[in-house]
Amino acid sequence: MPLLRFEQADLGHGAQVVLPSLDLTFDNGEHVALLGQSGAGKSTLLGEVRRRLHARAAWCPQGHGLVPLLSVYHNVYMGRLERHAAWRNLRNLLRPYPADWQAIETLCDELGLEGLIRRPVETLSGGQRQRVAIARAFYQSRELFLGDEPLASVDPHQAVRLLERIHDRHATSLIALHQHRLALSHFDRVIGLRDGQVVLDAPSHALTLAQLDALYPDAAPAASHDGARAVSR
Amino acid sequence: MSRAPGWLRGDSPGLVLARRSLALVALCVLLLPLADLDVTAADPWHELQRMALGFAWPNWLALESPLQAIALTVSVALWGTFLGALLGFPLALLFHRSRLLRGFCAFIRAIHELFWALLFLQVFGLSAITALAALAIPYAGIFAKVYAEILELTPKAPGDALPPGVDRLSRFLYTELPLVWGRLASYTRYRFECAMRASVLLGFVGLPTLGFYLESAFREGRFGEAGALLWLFYLLIATLPVWGHRRLLPLLLVGALFWLGPWPAVDGDLLWRFVSHDLWPAPLLEGDIVGMGAWLADIPDLLPAIGNTLLLALMGTVGSLVLALLLWPLASRHFGHRWQRAGGRLLLVVLRSTPELMLAFIFLLMLGPSMLPAWLALALHNGALIAFLVARHADGLTPGMPGLPASGRYAYELLPRLYPNLLALICYRAEVILRETAILGMLGVATLGFYIDSSFEYLMFDQAFFLLLITAALNIAVDALSRRFRPREAPLDDPCSR
Repeated sequence: MPLLRFEQADLGHGAQVVLPSLDLTFDNGEHVALLGQSGAGKSTLLGEVRRRLHARAAWCPQGHGLVPLLSVYHNVYMGRLERHAAWRNLRNLLRPYPADWQAIETLCDELGLEGLIRRPVETLSGGQRQRVAIARAFYQSRELFLGDEPLASVDPHQAVRLLERIHDRHATSLIALHQHRLALSHFDRVIGLRDGQVVLDAPSHALTLAQLDALYPDAAPAASHDGARAVSR
Repeated sequence: MSRAPGWLRGDSPGLVLARRSLALVALCVLLLPLADLDVTAADPWHELQRMALGFAWPNWLALESPLQAIALTVSVALWGTFLGALLGFPLALLFHRSRLLRGFCAFIRAIHELFWALLFLQVFGLSAITALAALAIPYAGIFAKVYAEILELTPKAPGDALPPGVDRLSRFLYTELPLVWGRLASYTRYRFECAMRASVLLGFVGLPTLGFYLESAFREGRFGEAGALLWLFYLLIATLPVWGHRRLLPLLLVGALFWLGPWPAVDGDLLWRFVSHDLWPAPLLEGDIVGMGAWLADIPDLLPAIGNTLLLALMGTVGSLVLALLLWPLASRHFGHRWQRAGGRLLLVVLRSTPELMLAFIFLLMLGPSMLPAWLALALHNGALIAFLVARHADGLTPGMPGLPASGRYAYELLPRLYPNLLALICYRAEVILRETAILGMLGVATLGFYIDSSFEYLMFDQAFFLLLITAALNIAVDALSRRFRPREAPLDDPCSR
């Protein structure tokens, strides 16, 4: 049964169309990697999927979207803000509820944030913030995980472990990322975007790294440019 | 080959701003002959010498009840700011929704704290209500505007990351308030410093704060006592980070409640009569339109008063501009030695912490009544305030070319980068200067404030209220004008400059 289907859809912001006449189908139980250069339309596609499936999707935004002055606990708690009354959320700011505290502490421990639950997010490193953002998405406990580069600021080793946790907790996922090896080894399907077009859509076992690298045409000239500069110096 | 351009010709932003500023200076110089700048005192240097002696050898023993005056000054400032913030915050949430509300806020903040005090004095007497309302009402208008501006700049990302369906209050408490809390708190703190100055000034209308004792000591020539009181005031401002610490504030707020007083018995009938009858011209209440003409004609020197107010404000603004240009290198790391810099910074801090009215009062005793003392006070206080902010801005810049002589550093490296910001600060300040100009009338300078003060004195409340409305309208007009004049390319990220 398909989860979501785009047929000749024009996606964009207001009048500006980023992804014209898009045809795409997502199925339940599928882990999909979304590749492409910055500006190719990944965020637009993710935003639209989120808009259509909002009640079923856990969301992990680009750049974390955390509140630096609040503690890790409160940032993660924000994942369920809509499920409680305003007065309860207000009280929780002043004094955390023990049950929520326990649940969030367990979640943080699982993601390698042991002992950091009380810390303001502004005092954390980039990788730690990344994991708080993922914890917040987990706390939403939805069947589908939508992530806009949720592995951008962690090292390759951690990225694998985090990705495995994401897949353990969610039957379906759609994740934008730049790690090509991960896309091949840990996903069922890869979608490649370039200048607002779907230029690649295939099961990951049928793809090679070279095919994925071709999605980044700027990468090669930029490298040779750097080389030229190094020589002239 | 092309010809080199003539004087001030060219389209670079620096030249445009320079032309604009020089036009302002030229206008001021052109109108200067209209201002009364006579020195009428017989021997100003002798007076200055006596004051300086009083400041150098303060007479601490002459102080009668300094602790009580300090406690009242702090209590009024604290609760005035607190109530203002309490009233202003909900207004800030609605600020961008309603034009009517924006107009209302512009009106209540266009009237100076002292004028509000004069107004409430008529109903509540020399009481805590008068003092608190005089601060809280204009501050509510200021807080509404500045809080609204700060809230507008809240980063949107955390709010967008929330799951849909979150109620408005939770959204605000979790993803908006924490992000702007620091800026709101630091602005409120800055406002509290202004409130300390205003609270001192309330002594000039008779409330027994520090200003009350300062005024009488100066007026009666007891300069030793005046010096001691001034030292107390500076000490109070300098130690504010210690006694005004975040953790002490709740304790201070509760303690201040015991110092506030006296609390008047409010007579409802009297209050209603004042608001519904005394404040309005009799012919207007009777529906007599022809009588209004005669009533208007009875107001003495309305047009000269408006003219003087605007002229003094222009002179104050231009004076601040010139002084700020001269003074900012004193406190900047790019110039001078360490000791020179410490001295310069101290001078600027002292000048900016002294209320204008106090400075004007001191110059008035020295030079005799004319516009000169008021001008000096306005230019020195505001010029120093802006110089301080500009120096702080300059310290954040790194010159591109090391080893330039001081004049080159000033004119080529630093000033071109600082000037748009400096001019923007001056434009923001113009409104404040106009408000202060009106208040200086209470010292005898023939601006609108002089006539407001004397109307209150003769119990002609309708006239006083009408003049207050004119003052507010002038203020709003000048604010609109200066916003147009302000350089667009220099957005002010520091609300503490207003």
